[in-house]
Amino acid sequence: MTRPTPRIGHATVVLATVVYGILLIPILMVIATSFTAQPFPTLPKTIDLQWYGELMSDGQIHGTLITSFIVALVSSIIAAAIGIVSAFGFVRYEFPYKQTISTAMLLPLIISPIITGVAILQFTSRVGINTGYPTLILGHSVLVFPYAFLIIRSALSSFDSTLEDASVVMGATPAASFVNVTLPMIAPAVFSAVLVSFLVSFGEFTATQFLVSADATTVPVIIYTMMRTGVTPTITALATVLVVIMTLVGVISEAVN
Amino acid sequence: MFRSVPVVDTFRDRLPATIHVLFGIGFIALFLLLPIALLVINSLNFGGELLENYRIALSDVYLRAIFNSLFIAAVTTPILLLLAFFVSYFIIFQTERTRLMLGLVLLPMWIAYIIRYLGIQLFLYPNGPVVSVFDTNFGLLFSTAGVVLGLVSGFLPFAVLPIYNSLSGVDRDLIDASSVMGATRLSTIRHVMVPLSIPGFVTAGLLVFILSAGAFLAPDILGGPSDLMIANMIERSYSEIFDINLAAALAVIYTGILLTLLVAFNSYLNIGEVLSDV
Amino acid sequence: MLEVQNLRKEYGDLVAVDDISFELESGEFATLLGPSGCGKSTTLHSIAGLVEPTGGNMLLDGVDVTNKPPYERNVGLVFQSKALFPHMTVAENVSYGLRMNGFDEETIERRVSEYLELVEMETHATHQPDELSGGQQQRVSLARALAYEPEILLLDEPLTGLDRVLRERMRNEIIKIHDAVDVTTLYVTHDQQEALAMSDRVIVLSDGRVQQIAEPEKLYHRPENPFVAEFIGKSTQFSGSIESTDPTLLQNGARTVHVESPEATQGTEHTAYVRPESIEVTTEPDETAPNSFSGTVVHSEYLGNRTEMEVELSDGTVVDAVADAVPDVTNGDRVTVQFEPSEVIVL
Repeated sequence: MTRPTPRIGHATVVLATVVYGILLIPILMVIATSFTAQPFPTLPKTIDLQWYGELMSDGQIHGTLITSFIVALVSSIIAAAIGIVSAFGFVRYEFPYKQTISTAMLLPLIISPIITGVAILQFTSRVGINTGYPTLILGHSVLVFPYAFLIIRSALSSFDSTLEDASVVMGATPAASFVNVTLPMIAPAVFSAVLVSFLVSFGEFTATQFLVSADATTVPVIIYTMMRTGVTPTITALATVLVVIMTLVGVISEAVN
Repeated sequence: MFRSVPVVDTFRDRLPATIHVLFGIGFIALFLLLPIALLVINSLNFGGELLENYRIALSDVYLRAIFNSLFIAAVTTPILLLLAFFVSYFIIFQTERTRLMLGLVLLPMWIAYIIRYLGIQLFLYPNGPVVSVFDTNFGLLFSTAGVVLGLVSGFLPFAVLPIYNSLSGVDRDLIDASSVMGATRLSTIRHVMVPLSIPGFVTAGLLVFILSAGAFLAPDILGGPSDLMIANMIERSYSEIFDINLAAALAVIYTGILLTLLVAFNSYLNIGEVLSDV
Repeated sequence: MLEVQNLRKEYGDLVAVDDISFELESGEFATLLGPSGCGKSTTLHSIAGLVEPTGGNMLLDGVDVTNKPPYERNVGLVFQSKALFPHMTVAENVSYGLRMNGFDEETIERRVSEYLELVEMETHATHQPDELSGGQQQRVSLARALAYEPEILLLDEPLTGLDRVLRERMRNEIIKIHDAVDVTTLYVTHDQQEALAMSDRVIVLSDGRVQQIAEPEKLYHRPENPFVAEFIGKSTQFSGSIESTDPTLLQNGARTVHVESPEATQGTEHTAYVRPESIEVTTEPDETAPNSFSGTVVHSEYLGNRTEMEVELSDGTVVDAVADAVPDVTNGDRVTVQFEPSEVIVL
């Protein structure tokens, strides 16, 4: 099958530039302004790393980075674990109201995170769970679960279950079959699910703003707070660090797939 | 033949089937559905007038925010569908470096919204590049247009994915046949590509509408005082007025509208199937 | 070795297996043969333990395994889709059953090379399944099923998807391996040629029920019911009622067919089946032949080692006949078909 040779008109080039610009300029802006020598974010004439220096010396920001990292890691692992079990149930069994329940599992995606955040905060304060790490991990697990569930379910549904049949006939119990046959084969998807969940959690703000505490807050939240008090290039430096981390994780998750 | 028969009684089902699903449902039920149910209860004012909070929620400022959300979502969605189709078409048919160009579209998905909106702000700032060159920010900052711009920038990757999948799945032979029979590129797009990509459009449209209607950061960071949307109102009634009941009522109204739209759409197209292919 | 008693499997309203019973001797090669939907795969999977029967029992070497999960029976199963584990090498695949059953390292190594040699795949031990051809994959699948030396080997249409030449070659290899290992084998296929060529006995199934269990030759020459007579091989059929006995005459419309049938009584309805090989197509008929009918050749296919012909008789009945090599008749010729009463199958 021959591919039509790209005949690109001027309009196409312009439009493509505009669209890609809309997508990428915001990110480039943030990165660029982090190197400015001025005390406010402008495009730099020379590369000045002073704001990164500020970042490095700010212990509070270090703590926040660590909190974001821990919350993201723990919630993505929880989400993936529950995702595997749930996906198994959905792919292998029939049960009533399957469609409805499936949609229910994706609820955090459908309703705005603002509602999820408020609801969880109300619930945890009623039940006596403190804000900070407990609410963050709980809330983020719920928020990223749909992503993990979708990815793992997709991998499981394209997995050939005759392989499990072969395994049990040869003498392996269902548990051993899962460990020796199914798990190794869906491992890339599980890994991808963890990474995607990690990303979503790391950058989440809308629900997170309700779940943080004085001692435990996340990077997006402090970026937002810093924006409210006046944007300095330190924010853009921090944001750039985030961009680097998230791009790295994103690239790895794509490579694994 | 064996496989075409519903495998309800096969060996695997001797295991308790419900345990697996119970896990996931239980998790969501306990930590999401229950809190939401509590929220709904909160929205009802049991001491006095039962629907008092709803009355407030549907009045002036709040009602305006609700309409604003639907309006902005309704404006943003077609723009996104159009741009997403263009980008998908461009990547599939008009460039050799498919993977790179697709990757560049999907890259922003990994970067947090807040960073991207910050970038838009910086771009349109008084001391930013646009103002320095054009002496104006074209009314794109702290305005409705700014919110739409932000939403477009934020959600374009989500719109591109399903449309790209649909479009790239269109049988090339059909496109070739159309050209051979004399259709111009535009005609082929209109008569062959678009109709065959409808599933992608539906998925994308649904997705970005839901995301746009419930957006919080874009109106908050890039909008003006009159651009507040439902999510902002919910946040304010909680953290500024400390009126959880009002916040809850607003949340219920928003979710109600959303679910109604989804159900109405579901009769048109089975959403469950669509979502299961995401 | 294997006893299947009144096996029954229902899927809601659908009865996949109605009432199937049979016994297999140790070391025997038997085949479940039948058209699609006859219940042969369901039966096989029930024996393996992958399908839970609605009724009936299965005994393996005297032990009732009906309620035992697959991993507690000692069976080997070769899947239609081969089902090799893609994330393991050939050797790892073959060793799987041994590993799961707790054999020691030494035995595992020994058995793996032993069985890989048996199927002539020892040079591919470190390869991945996706590097192998269909035929090679099937051989590894066979080695894997045999490596832990199960009590019975089950094969579910393993040669589907292979081209004809390869099918025949693999068929012979399976038989060779069966003879070498001497394991009780139950084979499933819809291809009667395969069944007749490979089996000690064939179990013919239709609609979830057993039609006949017999050696291949007996199935062909002495089918016990119309289904088997029509399913196995080709035949020409003459239906009618018995006019008289000794000599036994079957009245097929205006035609009288001489048959030999001790059970036939006057007045009963029967169908007479004649195999193509029993029919002689001639332009110089033997005047004394009891069954002699004239007709016209309407179809003639030269197949190299034989010619298949169709002859249309006066009342429209089409006779399937076969002749050695090149015939001396062509389409349109008037000929006479003749056959001996003793070669007619009466049911």
